[in-house]
Amino acid sequence: MTTVKISLLAPFNPPSLSRTWSSQPHHSLPLLATASSDKSVRVYSLTSFNLISTIEGGHKRSIRSIAWKPGTKGESVLATGSFDSSAGIWRRWDNDMVPRPERQEIEIGSGSNGEEEEEEEWRFAVVLDGHESEVKSVAWSAGGNFLATCSRDKSVWVWEEMEDDNFETIAVLQEHEGDVKCVVWHPEEELLASSSYDDTIRLYKEDIDDWTCISLLKGHNSTVWSIDFEPTSNPSLVATGNISSPVSTRFLEMRNAAGPRLVSTSDDLTIRIWSRVPRETDGALGEHGMIPSRIRTGSIEEEWTEEAQFPQAHTRAIYSVAWSKRTGRVVSAGGDGKIVVYEERWRSGDRTSTTPGNDHTPAKPENSQVGEGVQGTDSQRELTGDDAVAATEWVVLAEMPAAHGVYEVNHVCWAKRFDKGRTKDEEVIISTGDDGATKAWILGS
Amino acid sequence: MSADPLNANPTILSASDLPTRRRRPSSHTNIGAFSAVFSKGINVSSPSSDPFATSPISLSDSDSEDDAIIDRIDEQEIYDLISSISDPEHPLSLGELAVVNLPDIDVRDAPTAPFSTVLVQITPTITHCSLATVIGLGVRVRLEQALPPRFRVDVRIKEGTHSTADQVNKQLNDKERVAAALENGTLMGVLNKMLETCR
Repeated sequence: MTTVKISLLAPFNPPSLSRTWSSQPHHSLPLLATASSDKSVRVYSLTSFNLISTIEGGHKRSIRSIAWKPGTKGESVLATGSFDSSAGIWRRWDNDMVPRPERQEIEIGSGSNGEEEEEEEWRFAVVLDGHESEVKSVAWSAGGNFLATCSRDKSVWVWEEMEDDNFETIAVLQEHEGDVKCVVWHPEEELLASSSYDDTIRLYKEDIDDWTCISLLKGHNSTVWSIDFEPTSNPSLVATGNISSPVSTRFLEMRNAAGPRLVSTSDDLTIRIWSRVPRETDGALGEHGMIPSRIRTGSIEEEWTEEAQFPQAHTRAIYSVAWSKRTGRVVSAGGDGKIVVYEERWRSGDRTSTTPGNDHTPAKPENSQVGEGVQGTDSQRELTGDDAVAATEWVVLAEMPAAHGVYEVNHVCWAKRFDKGRTKDEEVIISTGDDGATKAWILGS
Repeated sequence: MSADPLNANPTILSASDLPTRRRRPSSHTNIGAFSAVFSKGINVSSPSSDPFATSPISLSDSDSEDDAIIDRIDEQEIYDLISSISDPEHPLSLGELAVVNLPDIDVRDAPTAPFSTVLVQITPTITHCSLATVIGLGVRVRLEQALPPRFRVDVRIKEGTHSTADQVNKQLNDKERVAAALENGTLMGVLNKMLETCR
């Protein structure tokens, strides 16, 4: 069925000997940090796939998640979230990490110089205490000024770095009714999303002085393990043909008005795409009049609706999802040990407004009413939101079963390719598994 | 665990009534299929089982073509692994209390599949047993420690036997919660005590 293959580029060496939960590439340097249940973070080179340094000694229990602070120069800052209920902030000068093959830094981690603070080592700068139980996910806002953390204690915290190493709690958001599994920030707005054991996703924004929940996304039937935002400019559809059709044009206009979408994965084995209903002032669909009165004019509340579901490719809980900035593709992985890549495509043939339904597009009565109710002067207004939504479909582009042998895959993400074999601006998929391994994969035919 | 048991008078099965491979090989239809090859990785036998059953020598050669390397695991083996777990509040095993029962174990261990699955449905002694989660966790931990990594373990409360079964099921099958629970010293103390009676 699929002609594109996922092939192993290289495993990162040496692996952790126990479960590796997640990984994240550095925003500019060829570095990858991994979070392991052995209470350590490993920093690998994306050029050589070798271990550069190991961060140990800061957490008493598993490190569940890590996040590089974006936009730093000269010094790298890493946030860690741990089952010991705390988050940590670590710093290290970049000139110590520029990969130089002749340097045998591999020994540094295992050597563990005790309490001794060496200049070329990672420094445990701050412990962020406050959560009552395991911290599950940490995420920096796009500008790097906010850090979000979430926990089994059902809360999401927003921290602001006031000055160096002085973090202030500016919000404790307690709307969720279960563990908060994942937090992620919008790629450009100060909009925070969280997903939970309570099967829902919530969005938050700062309203004057207070952070408040501005949207509740319901649809999943079980724990929402992972969420990710679409990149600000998604290249996948624009690059392909067929843009001249009215439906395609409408779709792209709607995309522009709504901004990045959100993708979510769940224990219910589904992957769903959610999109913001654009406001009237955005001049897009004129749906504002149909929004229930609870959304006041000038309110910061937002309406997000489920736009699509992916074809089901997993047979066990889907733990992780990531949206590629470079290609607009989405990768997922989970308990079945499989890595799956999806691509959004224009539906073949022009669709008319009389055929909005399809298997993967949920019925949205509000939207169809809106379409009929709007008397646009613009001829494109005759197309409803559903048509625009149905303009595309998600297909499975490639699958890699047993990516970590018989083990579960806990996390996948995209990273820029840095090794010698790269041809141009390429990306790799990074996976981490219960076997402790971290692997880099490439897509090819 | 407490001075005041939640269920002071549980129904108890006699050890001699519990299913074993030796006594009633015909009591379970799946036993014949992949019979008698105990995984060498699992060094376990129930107290009443036939010592010869743990021999790596297969009693039937019929299943040896496909899985020369991997020893297939059946329901009886799963039962033997978990029936000897002690109840957290009674001096009895989960087998004797009929919390775990052979017919409520389902194993899918096909050689061609990328992974294998075990579903264990447990029957709490009373419908509002607050220890159901701990018992389920004990079963899950026991199996995750004893079984090869190809196994995905699902532990559920048998339908209609517990008032908050859905909540318990969701917790028991949340990988992250289970992982975190295993790093909790107090809880692990309780679990280790339950698992002491397993060999």
